[in-house]
Amino acid sequence: MHLKMFVLSASAVALWLAPLSALDKKVGWHKAVQGVSLCAGIACAIKAGRIAYKLSEDAEIEVVKERAITADVVDEIATSAYVSQQQRQQEAELMLASPGLDVEAGRKSLEAMYDNDLQDSVSASDNSDYLVYLEVCKSMEAGKSNTWIVENIFKMGGRKFADGKAKLETLLQQFEGEQK
Amino acid sequence: MKAMYLVNYFVAGCIASSLLGWIASLHPMSFRAIAFLLAAVAVAWVMCWLLDFSLSQTLKISVPQLQALLVSILAVLLIGLGVFVCT
Repeated sequence: MHLKMFVLSASAVALWLAPLSALDKKVGWHKAVQGVSLCAGIACAIKAGRIAYKLSEDAEIEVVKERAITADVVDEIATSAYVSQQQRQQEAELMLASPGLDVEAGRKSLEAMYDNDLQDSVSASDNSDYLVYLEVCKSMEAGKSNTWIVENIFKMGGRKFADGKAKLETLLQQFEGEQK
Repeated sequence: MKAMYLVNYFVAGCIASSLLGWIASLHPMSFRAIAFLLAAVAVAWVMCWLLDFSLSQTLKISVPQLQALLVSILAVLLIGLGVFVCT
């Protein structure tokens, strides 16, 4: 598009100046050639102007788009900062509203929460077993037999049935022991 | 790009005024017609300078913009006719 515009601009200037200056006036048809080239030059210049106008409009739209994206990002950052500020303010207000709370007790409760989190992260591998255990409990409450549980929950029918039954017993012992 | 757009229309105006000169050179009658046209344009140009404030309100452009337009019209006519006469 840019190349087309520059070529049209250059050709407009060439069509304007070349026949006027370079053409020999003794030639009979030089007037006609001048007229034709001037008309062609006007057409080229107008076409190039239209292309340049379109390009400038596109550039303006791009600038507006970039401004809108920047404003959006700034707005998002400002909103998140405002929200976190409000949260901190609410927490501070809550702390001020309950001055009777013991700081040491708060610290201990936070420590306990932190320890629990650590234990949870350590026993994350047991989570899948625990989910299976919950499913087994649900099935037992629904009145399903051990055979049904081994075949449908553990998916260990046929030759693997004995292994599945052992696994069920292990699972029940593990989590029931923990609950006690 | 806006500069290129303005330059291209300026060049188009220059070529158009050269075309007017070319038409004037074809026949004495066409020369008179073009001379009359140029005289009318000159009168309109002076009137525009005198009535620039009211014209800028009518055209909904600022006064400096109107003055720039008038100066560029004069430049277009002078350059176009000058190039035609000198060559």
